[in-house]
Amino acid sequence: MHDDPRPAALLEAMARTLTDEVVPSTDEAARHAARVVANLCRILAREFEQAPTAGDRGAMEALLDLRGGRADLATLLDERLRESEVAFDERALPVLLADVERRLAISRPSYLAEPS
Amino acid sequence: MTTPRAYEAALTALLEGSGRASAEVTIVGTASVGTQRTTLFIEVADRAGPLRAVAQISLNIIPAAPASHQASLLGLAAEAGVPVPHVLAVTDALPGIDRPALMTTHVDGLTIPRQVLRSHTDHNTGDRLAAACGEALGRLHGIDPGTLPPDLDRLAACDPYLDYCDRLTLSLDELPTAHPAIRLGINWLQRNPPRPAAEQTLVHGDFRTGNIIVEHGRLAAVIDWELAHVGDPMEDPAYLCMRTWRFGNDSRHCGGFGSLRALREAYESRGGFWRDDAFHWWMTARTAWWAIGLAQQAAAFSIGETDSIVHAASGRRVPELEYDLLKLISDNKPAMKG
Repeated sequence: MHDDPRPAALLEAMARTLTDEVVPSTDEAARHAARVVANLCRILAREFEQAPTAGDRGAMEALLDLRGGRADLATLLDERLRESEVAFDERALPVLLADVERRLAISRPSYLAEPS
Repeated sequence: MTTPRAYEAALTALLEGSGRASAEVTIVGTASVGTQRTTLFIEVADRAGPLRAVAQISLNIIPAAPASHQASLLGLAAEAGVPVPHVLAVTDALPGIDRPALMTTHVDGLTIPRQVLRSHTDHNTGDRLAAACGEALGRLHGIDPGTLPPDLDRLAACDPYLDYCDRLTLSLDELPTAHPAIRLGINWLQRNPPRPAAEQTLVHGDFRTGNIIVEHGRLAAVIDWELAHVGDPMEDPAYLCMRTWRFGNDSRHCGGFGSLRALREAYESRGGFWRDDAFHWWMTARTAWWAIGLAQQAAAFSIGETDSIVHAASGRRVPELEYDLLKLISDNKPAMKG
């Protein structure tokens, strides 16, 4: 539990302050750093709001035929891919793409919308 | 963190060692504190009067060519008609700082990607710049390989593609966290090598928006030669066209400013031989490389090797490159079967 405002709202406000107040009044090098920090605040706000669910791991669990947390599954899948055949890689591709898309929806949602 | 005073003293000492005994270096600005290097705008004052110059100090998080090699390559590139800055001094260990440094003349123009792209909102000027890049690459790849520094990094001539995949695997295995999407990408690369180039050439290795100086729409200089090596020439145009270097301007495939056609036609007009399969392979390979590079920067932050916020933020950029990598494989899926 924490007091108002929520972490995500605070991070949004921090990002806005940097973008609207700090960036316009600093030199180019500091401006770049301020933009990077503002962007990180927005990413963290989305991380707070969009915590991964167990369902997100379902496809990876099915591919590997076992259960676990995302980091463990990624490690096991990585191990499996070291010695894999083409057929396994073809099954892994959509699973990994969905996993990357979920992470990208948090780190930079606009990247998914832009044509590739 | 190295202070500006320490840099000034070290760069002055470097000039003294290069035969400019009475020269004094003053830092007049910081161009960038990047992920790979610190770039300083400096003024060199000696008997001939003040000279505007640039000093690049490598951070060497990603292995790079020695600064002395970069200086030789800048000379060869200039002779071949590639626009480059003039070298003033070079060292592989800056006195007192122990990092490679390269001091060159200052070239006027834009380097910051968002400014370069903003200056090319018009299609025609963007294509002119793409053509200038194509011509520069054609000339660069035409340099006689026999004139290159003999110990310049080179991909194995017998199988450069397998060699590159081995290098990627080595870097991937050293990361503290697993990246199965990148592993899958390397599997694809191993199974789908392109037909080899007729001859290995000098490859700039980092030819992209951000590493070119653009003055009034013109290509004023190609900079940042730290990743130069001998390999497949198609690596350079493929790298320039990676989505990540379009900085959001995705419809302009060449660096976010021009068309692929303009780049290709100009490249071929200067003797370059374009190979589509190698172009796609290298775009995929260098996308995997940069995904690993960003993860390396994040790891360097996490273990306390750097306190740079830019390095820290790199970790959250890895999914962008993984996404591009998987899309590149998906787009070419029949080849997944080898």
